[in-house]
Amino acid sequence: MNKPQGRPAGPPPIGRHPGPRFNGPAEKAKDQKATLKRIWSYLKNQRVGIMSSIFFVVVSTLLSLLGPLLIGRIIDDYILRFNIEGAIRMILVLAGIYIVSAIFTWLQTFMMIRVSQKTIRELRQQLFEKFQSLPIAIYDKRQQGDLMSRMTNDIENLNAALSQSIIQIVSTVLSVVGTGIAMFYLNWVLAVVTLLVIPIIIWSTKQIIKRSSKNFSQRQRDLGNLNGFIEETISNSHITTLFGKEEQTVAQFKEANEKLRASALKADITSGFLGPINNFINNLGIGLVIGVGALLVIVNFGVSVGVIASFVTYTRQFFRPINQLSNLFNTFQSAIAGAERVFEILDEQNESADVPEAITKNRYEGDVEFRNVEFAYQPNKPVLRKLSFRAKAGETIAFVGPTGSGKTTIIQLLNRFYDAASGEILIDGQDIKRYKMANLRNHIGVVLQDTYLFSGSVRENIRYGKLDATDEEVERAAETAYAHNFIKYLPQGYDTMLVSGGMNLSQGQRQLIAIARAILEDPDILILDEATSSVDTMTEVHIQKGLNNLMQGRTSFVIAHRLKTIENADQILVIKDGAILEQGNHDGLMEQKGLYASLQHQLQVQQ
Amino acid sequence: MQAVLSLKKYLKPYMPFAIIAPLMMVLEVAMDLVQPTIMQHIIDNGIAKKDTPYVMQMFGLMILCAVIGLIGGAGCSIYASKTAINFAADIRQDLYETITYFSNSNKDHFTLGKLITNITSDVEMLQRALTMLLKIFVRGPFTFIGAILIVFLTARELFPILLVVVPILALSIIFFTKLSGNLFLKVQEAVDAVNTKVQENLAGIRVIKAYNRKSHQIQQFTTVNETLMKRNIQADQIIGILMPLTAFVVNMGIIAALWLGAIKVENSTIEVGVILAFINYLMMIMGGLMSSSAVLMQIARAVPSANRIAAVLGEQSEIISAEHPVTTPIKGSVEFDRVSFAYNKNNEPVLKNISFKAEPGETIGIIGMTGSGKSSIVKLIPRMFDADQGSIKIDGRPIKDYDLQTLRGAIGFTPQKATLFSRTIEENVKYGNEEASLEELIEALECSCALEFVEKLELREQYMVTQGATNLSGGQKQRLAMARAFIRKPAILILDDTTSAVDSISEKRIQQAIEENFEDSTKFIVSSKISSIRHADKILVLDDGVVVGQGTHKELLENNKPYQEIVSTQLVRGGTLNE
Repeated sequence: MNKPQGRPAGPPPIGRHPGPRFNGPAEKAKDQKATLKRIWSYLKNQRVGIMSSIFFVVVSTLLSLLGPLLIGRIIDDYILRFNIEGAIRMILVLAGIYIVSAIFTWLQTFMMIRVSQKTIRELRQQLFEKFQSLPIAIYDKRQQGDLMSRMTNDIENLNAALSQSIIQIVSTVLSVVGTGIAMFYLNWVLAVVTLLVIPIIIWSTKQIIKRSSKNFSQRQRDLGNLNGFIEETISNSHITTLFGKEEQTVAQFKEANEKLRASALKADITSGFLGPINNFINNLGIGLVIGVGALLVIVNFGVSVGVIASFVTYTRQFFRPINQLSNLFNTFQSAIAGAERVFEILDEQNESADVPEAITKNRYEGDVEFRNVEFAYQPNKPVLRKLSFRAKAGETIAFVGPTGSGKTTIIQLLNRFYDAASGEILIDGQDIKRYKMANLRNHIGVVLQDTYLFSGSVRENIRYGKLDATDEEVERAAETAYAHNFIKYLPQGYDTMLVSGGMNLSQGQRQLIAIARAILEDPDILILDEATSSVDTMTEVHIQKGLNNLMQGRTSFVIAHRLKTIENADQILVIKDGAILEQGNHDGLMEQKGLYASLQHQLQVQQ
Repeated sequence: MQAVLSLKKYLKPYMPFAIIAPLMMVLEVAMDLVQPTIMQHIIDNGIAKKDTPYVMQMFGLMILCAVIGLIGGAGCSIYASKTAINFAADIRQDLYETITYFSNSNKDHFTLGKLITNITSDVEMLQRALTMLLKIFVRGPFTFIGAILIVFLTARELFPILLVVVPILALSIIFFTKLSGNLFLKVQEAVDAVNTKVQENLAGIRVIKAYNRKSHQIQQFTTVNETLMKRNIQADQIIGILMPLTAFVVNMGIIAALWLGAIKVENSTIEVGVILAFINYLMMIMGGLMSSSAVLMQIARAVPSANRIAAVLGEQSEIISAEHPVTTPIKGSVEFDRVSFAYNKNNEPVLKNISFKAEPGETIGIIGMTGSGKSSIVKLIPRMFDADQGSIKIDGRPIKDYDLQTLRGAIGFTPQKATLFSRTIEENVKYGNEEASLEELIEALECSCALEFVEKLELREQYMVTQGATNLSGGQKQRLAMARAFIRKPAILILDDTTSAVDSISEKRIQQAIEENFEDSTKFIVSSKISSIRHADKILVLDDGVVVGQGTHKELLENNKPYQEIVSTQLVRGGTLNE
């Protein structure tokens, strides 16, 4: 999760290189109009803020146009005529204009920041809540990094556009138009001379951007390759060491590094011309204004020294925004593209809603039945075929079978991570879709194959199973799960802080905490999906005792690849290719001499 | 700061560029500075005296200045880019090389994630700062000082205004820059909090749904989201004052210039062109100040990056070949004599007093609970780490005497985590031995039971493995990783718990293949499963870093309590569940 934070502090994201005054080609949205409309629907609530800030920007821009005009007037009508009192009067007016302009400029920023930050907060909140409501299938389909970048990069792009670009575009357009009018008002010949420079600006900028965007994409590709190479070879560097491949790896790196050196030089040098050329055009424009202006004064063509003064200031005001305009539109475009990607997620279907008058229960008996259940993650690739079985309340059901046979899918249908395509799943005689989903999940405890712990203390992580559990309850659960033994040796015991994902614990330790969490939840139905796969056999024996206590009296579903842990189950279902191949208890299945018996037999042979 | 200076040597080859770039920039700035003065002359001499040829002459001069400025600017840009990009590319190369040769404890010290950031974003940061330094940092102060100097020389009557305006400008820029540093630090904290929450929620979504904790999570997120908004608003609004404020101060300077100028013009002490020139210089002063402060911030931010890079470059690899290394081919006898080892030298050792001997052709099984030190033993053989006490000998010589290439070249090691590169299967396996023929490749795949699935792939050995090998199953990865070790035909073969995701029938076949194909090699097999090591010539039973049993399966079964315990949990039906 490398570089989502787009704030000015912190290092900038890898790979996004700031070309001097040029950011490379912007990403375009697919349907700009619809997206813009939708952004507006968010802004609507802040109408007062937006309106007032647009008002402030219009006024302050107009006032800034008045400044140069007034300076010219002061020089021509007062200073050059030695009218000191008049000059001072006008100067005071100018001072007033400057004061108001400064205040309005600040007010406009003040208002717009509120508007954009509130909008962004709302959008972020909505997106987060959406993440919580999306069905698991979406998480299978989309990469975590992709969803993450929508929350960070895309929203940040929109934020940048909302808080700055909109206002800047308004003020730029206004001041360019206003300056143009003011120039023509002052002297049309001089105005035409100044405006002649504009085509040069546009042409040269276009030329440079055309060349550099090609170079920039090459540079981005090379940088991406290099960073990918670095990421992979450094993460796996123990392999390089073990196989003594240092020299080759360094040589490969050199190749990629030299490629980047060449393309980066090309890209930076072309785009580097943009700055000096802009500066040149500025100076050229001002030179033209002064030179031509002076000649016009001499030939008495309605130009005065004051007019030249106004023009010089206007020219400075005029070119800068034009130079920035293309950059602004880039920001704006990537913001719209970003917003579109955020909306795309917001438009995804939610998890199926509860049926009207859904049932809630305080306790489930735990009588579970699958009737002809079929399911497929992708069309035409059935994972479960006409699956039927029944677990009586309190029984322990074990699933055995090769990887990919559909064991995990069966239990994921039970807590409605997915819904069956056809057939019925009944709990206590009712179709599970008739229960309130939240109520159902509250009474089913799951320990997943690859468990996840949150950043926070060990205690908080166990307490996740029951938010109002006391410290004693937490510790008792940990003891049952045999987790207490290692927790007490952690630096701060139960208060030891875990990092995201619990990565400072071993996989086995994480599984123990997950088991404690499930024990604390005290569910009516328990699901253990390879819950002890990463725990060594000695420890497993101890946990098994705790789990046996826990499983007593509640319906439990167990998946385990160590066959011996499930030999005591009431029913063992051997699953192959999404269907039940064999069914019975250990002794019965051994007598059947089918797949189960042969699996057990293989184990015996090895030993 | 010293660390930054230590990077100076990377600048040396590009020193001429690094000197030319600022000089060219000086040229551009000088031309910018001359312009208002020329304008003043046009107004006060040309227009006032209606001297057309003079105006034309001056006009020509202005255009000439603009062109010279363009040359300067473009030149500066070219040479600055050349310096910075070459400088960064060289550092990157050296960094990568240094890191590649790091020993494991060096890597643990820095952590891999930080090393990656170092070579990617830190170098980038440095490159950007250097470009800025050569381009804008010269431009800002030079414009600023130049403009002040010219005003002092040509418009001394208005100079007092600068004495008031410039300190106010400088102080407010310094004040706001400092303030914004603090404010954005707080914003960054809030951003991090939001990102962590989101990231955790995405990664842990199954747990959240299974425990039905949606509203709990939303509640937590609302708090961090709210904090982020508040801090953002606060920071942006305070920083938003700077722009209007500086513009206001400069504008007040203009007012003062007009006011004072009007009086002086009336007294005929100055001419009107001076006022206009002054106003232009005032604008330049502000621009110069603003850009210098922005660049200064950028450069200040690059200093920690430079320090981090210097620290990595300054680190010596802890494990290097001896001065006169032995390069005689290795036969494969391995002897541990009272070896102790700790990852963290302040903590209890993970291996205590380990002694054993392995002859060529023997199979050594190592078994024990998680954390007993099984993997640590085998990691010492290729010198992934060096033992703290005791000695390890290969063919009777201490391993530290061997050339690292000779030592590691004789070892085929399959680590616990099967890591593959994003290349074809062939390239991945041949990583173990680039000179291997196609027959040898097939043989290695066969031996590790990988051929059966490779054959079914559309492109067979040319199948592209994705980054992180996400397009292979755990068992497939382990098989390929073993093939990579097998293809080396090593004198010492080490398998560190490599069959955990391989089904029991294939594991059996792999065991047989190893017996047949590596008859003369010394074989180390680390496992927590009895079935993987029971046929070994010698089994080491490890508990808490100590060898608590040594012998064959049969011997240990008879007289070793810890071994019996492990066996009973794994072999007896139902384990000890029924006791």
